[in-house]
Amino acid sequence: MNWRIRLTWWDLTLLAVMAVGVVLAVVRYAGGIATVANINNAYPWGWWVGYGIMTMIAVGGVGFTITLLVEVFGVHRFHPLLRPAVLMALLCYSGAIIMLMVELGRPWMVWMILVSWAPTAALYEVGWCAFLYLSVLAFEFAQVPLEELGWGRVLRITRMIYMPLMLLGVTLSHLHQSSLGTLMTLIPHKIDVLWWSEQLPLLYLFSAMMAGPALAILEYLAAARWLGFEPRMEMLASLARIEAWLVGLFLAFQVGDLVSRGAVGAALSGGWLALSFWVEIGLGLLLPLVLLILPEVRQSRGGLATACALVLFGLLLHRLNVTVIGLRVRHWETYIPSLGEIGITLGITAGAMFVFGVLVRMLPIHEELTPAPASPRRAVAPAAALRGARGLS
Amino acid sequence: MTTPAQKPKAMIQDNTRCIGCRACMVACKSWNNRPADHTDFFAGPGYQNPRDLDANNYTLITFNEIVTGAKPDWVFGRQLCMHCDHPACASACPTTALTKTALGPVVFNQNRCIGCRACMQACPFLIPKYDYENLAPLIHKCTFCADRVEAGLKPACATVCPTAAISFGDRDEMVAEAKRRIASAPGTYIPEIYGLDEVGGTSVLHLSSVPFDQIGYITGLPKTPMPDLTHRWLRVTPHFFALLYAVFAGLTWITHRRSKKQHEGKTA
Repeated sequence: MNWRIRLTWWDLTLLAVMAVGVVLAVVRYAGGIATVANINNAYPWGWWVGYGIMTMIAVGGVGFTITLLVEVFGVHRFHPLLRPAVLMALLCYSGAIIMLMVELGRPWMVWMILVSWAPTAALYEVGWCAFLYLSVLAFEFAQVPLEELGWGRVLRITRMIYMPLMLLGVTLSHLHQSSLGTLMTLIPHKIDVLWWSEQLPLLYLFSAMMAGPALAILEYLAAARWLGFEPRMEMLASLARIEAWLVGLFLAFQVGDLVSRGAVGAALSGGWLALSFWVEIGLGLLLPLVLLILPEVRQSRGGLATACALVLFGLLLHRLNVTVIGLRVRHWETYIPSLGEIGITLGITAGAMFVFGVLVRMLPIHEELTPAPASPRRAVAPAAALRGARGLS
Repeated sequence: MTTPAQKPKAMIQDNTRCIGCRACMVACKSWNNRPADHTDFFAGPGYQNPRDLDANNYTLITFNEIVTGAKPDWVFGRQLCMHCDHPACASACPTTALTKTALGPVVFNQNRCIGCRACMQACPFLIPKYDYENLAPLIHKCTFCADRVEAGLKPACATVCPTAAISFGDRDEMVAEAKRRIASAPGTYIPEIYGLDEVGGTSVLHLSSVPFDQIGYITGLPKTPMPDLTHRWLRVTPHFFALLYAVFAGLTWITHRRSKKQHEGKTA
């Protein structure tokens, strides 16, 4: 474990943004939600839920998508992406939980979900699944510091239960990613016809699956640049091919759903909502799809980073369109997120990035930076999945 | 077996009889201990105040300027919790802080609320409101005076209406009464009972002389219960979970066995 980390200007910037978020959060707890936020009776969720929870959880899908590819489908060439993916997911979910603690009116009561029986409520399922999955992520990631500390006895136990828990995590992700969409199926009268669909659970699940590899590629490229290792471009190109399929299939599903619901007219009508829809489709799906299909883009760092950033932007806009922008209530009601709302979410995001940056330098997260230990026993044991040894195959 | 005293209750809000005196709003505030607000005229019609329901106003008489015949006229409408038979708010609540009681009221248990505001998002009638200024905020909405109803009394609003625009009784009797009124004075009423089968039926039934969308009511709602929309997905969740887990476990077993064999082949 490397304790000697020198903080860069980049770390300090993140810390500064975090500090602003902390100050705003203190104001929120001292004065109530209304002192920092514009959310109101007509728009009870707003940016905090649209970005801070819905998008954060969807982006946290990087954990289960990469785990699914490597551990379940056995595509071992993506192994270098597994540890970063698990850590990013852990931080995204932690960020979403922190957001929840700010956003809930009575955060000290949140444990009530765990002692309730409310199977009709999508949020109940989301709450339970996210809580369990966060525990699984913490367990999965804990292997890394445990190995570093050399706690052999604890490790032996954790490796025995790694497989069933890893599978539990992947399964739970499918459930709550889709349940966040189920939550929104309840309000067909409020969400504009462009986005409300009975298929929202599947749209949410597929878009989270699409966001996962995009974030994994983006992080890997960023790490290669800032931590100074040579990225395995053939591995990224291979994941980018899969990503192109995921984007293409999601695009086809979303447009096909729109057509089958007879909502094409709404998409072709002028107006701000139609514009928001076309930005989502055009910039967030079509453009990255075209980019990812081009072999020269898949081989270029800049091209891949652009395409993946666009995918994440499209995902953010989709979540905002469903939960905030496309919401129609009384005609006189308006909602524009306040600087306080945005500041707190930026603080949480910066915090997650800061912790990631520190851990990535402290612990063997990227195989490229740590020589793979030559222990054959660990290489065949399934629980060695999180170790670099698997990268040999 | 339900004894007569336990039959589900309902309220008729007969807007054709309403004179806009707002005694119901005052009685509501007084029974529910809601403070007075400083109100302003907004750029809306007539003398309506406030503009919408909020944490201090559980019911509201709306003043709607409508041209009837040759001259403009005020037609009153009323907003309050509809107390749905299949409440979307209760189905969305992750902690069952909202429940539908046998007598009809949809009641809020503040000791269970975590403040997620899913009920506000879910309500097709935009009824639940929040006090965002409060450090320990709560959901606020009409209670149907559940405490009074349990004790065999009418809701506070129904006791004060000077023109008997608010009637209260067993739901089946109220439905019959509403139909009787429409049939006996077809010129006065439009032939529609708002709440009879909106979102699967509600405990508040509204009557009107003009189409409901003209007096600020949310129309075009489905006639089926809103919770069905999420239930169709959520009820398959346990099966989905078991199926996915089994499939993923099977796949993992196959792929790991394969890579183990490959590995052994290499080392051998």
